[in-house]
Amino acid sequence: MGSSKLAFAALLAELTAFYGLGSIESPDLALFTYLAAHAPASLLLALAVYLLIPLSRSKPRLSVLSLLFCSIFFVPVLGFVGVLVGALVRHLLPRLEAPSRFSAVRLPDLDIHESSEKSGAGFRQAGVRQFLKNDRAPVPQRLRAMVALSHAPSRIGSPVLRELLGDAEDDLRLLAYGLLDNREKRLNADIHAARQKLAACRSDDERSRLAQQLAALYWELIYQGLVQGDLLDYAVGEALRHTETALATLRDNPALHLQHGRLLQQIGRLDEADAAYQRARELGLPASRVVPYLAELAFARRDFSRVRTLLQSMQDWEGLSRLQPVLKFWGQA
Amino acid sequence: MSEVIRRAPEGVDVALLLEGTFPYVAGGVSSWVNQIIRAFPDLRFGVVFIGSRRSDYGDMRYALPDNVVHLETHYLHDDLGAVATAHERKRGQQGDTQAVAQMASLHDAFRRGGGREGAPDVLSLFGEACRDIAPGGRIDLEAFLRSEASWEVVTERYRTYCSDPSFVDYFWTVRIMHQPLWQLARIAHTLVPARVYHSVSTGYAGFLGALLAQSTGRPLVLSEHGIYTKERKIDLYQNEWIRDNRNVFQKDASELSYFRQLWIRFFEWLGRLTYAAADPIVALYETNRLRQIADGADAARTRNIPNGVNIGRLAPLRTQRPAEVPPVLCLIGRVVPIKDIKTFVRAMRRVVNRMPEAQGWIAGPADEDPAYAEECRNLVDSLGLTDNVRFLGMQKIDELMPKIGLVVLSSISEALPLVLLEGFAAGVPAVATDVGSCRQLMHGLGAEDEALGAAGRVVGIADPQSLADAALDLLNDGAAWQAAQQAGIARVERYYADTLMFDRYREVYAGALERDTRRAGACPFEHGAR
Repeated sequence: MGSSKLAFAALLAELTAFYGLGSIESPDLALFTYLAAHAPASLLLALAVYLLIPLSRSKPRLSVLSLLFCSIFFVPVLGFVGVLVGALVRHLLPRLEAPSRFSAVRLPDLDIHESSEKSGAGFRQAGVRQFLKNDRAPVPQRLRAMVALSHAPSRIGSPVLRELLGDAEDDLRLLAYGLLDNREKRLNADIHAARQKLAACRSDDERSRLAQQLAALYWELIYQGLVQGDLLDYAVGEALRHTETALATLRDNPALHLQHGRLLQQIGRLDEADAAYQRARELGLPASRVVPYLAELAFARRDFSRVRTLLQSMQDWEGLSRLQPVLKFWGQA
Repeated sequence: MSEVIRRAPEGVDVALLLEGTFPYVAGGVSSWVNQIIRAFPDLRFGVVFIGSRRSDYGDMRYALPDNVVHLETHYLHDDLGAVATAHERKRGQQGDTQAVAQMASLHDAFRRGGGREGAPDVLSLFGEACRDIAPGGRIDLEAFLRSEASWEVVTERYRTYCSDPSFVDYFWTVRIMHQPLWQLARIAHTLVPARVYHSVSTGYAGFLGALLAQSTGRPLVLSEHGIYTKERKIDLYQNEWIRDNRNVFQKDASELSYFRQLWIRFFEWLGRLTYAAADPIVALYETNRLRQIADGADAARTRNIPNGVNIGRLAPLRTQRPAEVPPVLCLIGRVVPIKDIKTFVRAMRRVVNRMPEAQGWIAGPADEDPAYAEECRNLVDSLGLTDNVRFLGMQKIDELMPKIGLVVLSSISEALPLVLLEGFAAGVPAVATDVGSCRQLMHGLGAEDEALGAAGRVVGIADPQSLADAALDLLNDGAAWQAAQQAGIARVERYYADTLMFDRYREVYAGALERDTRRAGACPFEHGAR
């Protein structure tokens, strides 16, 4: 260990110095001899002790070294002994020093949003639409409400956003537009990709699969309320066309028949829709997925007793939480 | 990356500060700049073009008028990745702690100063900051990027304010957001002397104007077409590159991602600082003027100067029109999201269902946002409209106007669109969305103007159904079309001739030049921009 060798050399040099002081008679020569040996001894000890000092305390190097050297050199005996003892104590009792490698940081506030205005953040489910449409409410709060709405499912959010496209406030209008456009953009990109694959496709199986995918994507546009008017008709037409293409090969796919039924119902071809639902049921689709549509179909035909019969058959299904209010209404005698 | 294409070391009368427009981008604002420069042949103009990356722009789209004696271009994003060379990079530099602390207090003032009462505080600190970031100032770019003091401030503010958990994203957002400001300070420092600065937007160009006004004391004129801050917001709401790293427990559903908010605030303040330095602040119409005031402009310095078109050039086009109204709907504009070309395409689906011979033309450059242009083409394809909708690219207005039946504008944001005025002057009525001053252009403002009648139809934004119905209404009803044509011609001739606009700008420039002369007289020392 370099430090102990240095200390040992320092001790030897210091002893030599004292020896010289005691053995030489001429006081001038004795003092000179003493200093000549004491100076290197002090330097050696200073270096030895310096090496024991933890890194964090050892800078600036020159100042620390000079301090050590001066304490040893200019305070006779006591300086040497004191520094030596101090270094030994420091070395032998390292655990007494608290570790200081981590500095304390201020805790962040518990709720980082505390500073922003909270009013308007707690929108009740029914309140958002009313709140957004209230043009006397402050714009920042309405913007917040709209951002909250952007996390809602598209089918629920889109109609509200569409109403806000006509809002007098530019920022709201533009944010609503941005949110709607992003949703539509994603679906349209998928539709485009699928159409290209379909155009390049050679195998029949693959074609049917892609047609099914395309039909589902067009249906998604309709279901999320992203298309209206002629575009809605166009999307329904495309979805229907692709569903029928897919059905030509995938004749026994129950989910396709269900989708076919929904599209036919959408354009008012109710008898054909009924047949498609029945076929989906025969092919093994669970009643829970088909009966609600059959009930809707019966409702469209104004056959209310059939609606009741169909829905009453669903009374025991606990899983359909969103349908519960409907079931409850039609379940009343 | 910077380049000086024409140089006038002796200085210019008016330095135009242009961001992403003339002469490298074609569009309404660029045409306007071209008009203004040519209208004042006696003034010597300098043009400072600020763009994103050199590769985003092609060649010049306009022939430079002779009175543009100085032109320099700067691309802010080209320099973002530039790494400091070894001798520039001073490792472990401390940075001027005091200057950085002052910068932090400017940011605190930004945070506080929603209302105008915070403004004086902000402005004095901003003046100081301008000096600090100028070349030779207390905080150079290297100090911002790499000094310890700057690191301390960034980490401290992340801990205190950032609600997004990612420090890495925060760090780089702050860096990329601020770095162009040093580039602008360098541009301001080296720009040739000008008697008046004229910015055509807030944003980076406006900020450059504010820096120049601060350092030279010379007048800054601001003419805002669209509202820059608002258009930036549209981008920021729509784009998907800004990350949100909050997990489900950290997320407040009603709060935009922190980085999105940060960017929005950044541009809001660039706007505010420009407004504070500019006089006069010109809007194209009243709603925009009110918006400027709401965004922090001093009402006393604001005024309206509407756009104008050259009636003498466009009026003869009326005689070239065929007897029958051509069933052609034409959207004249750049193919970019703000023009909402997709709504026009969707509307064409309905128009073609009702009128199979109808054509939809999109006349404008499609190279500004190639991804969006591709999206529009895909939509045309997926709606089965390839035979009816055509992308024509850039067209000459004089050749186009006689061939079309309606000018259509489906934009989600506009100011006072020149294409509507050009259409009116050439005898083509329009269907436009209810944005900017479109309603005023279509139906008039004030009793006298309204009495001229409707020059077309106004519909809601992103509503293809109504857009199509309005267009079909006009195309199917000859009498209604004629009435709209007459109203358009009468309105544009009476209120929107370019000579009116030039007269007003002559006043603006004369006022600003006079203020400069008075200032130079009062101060014995020449404050060159250098």
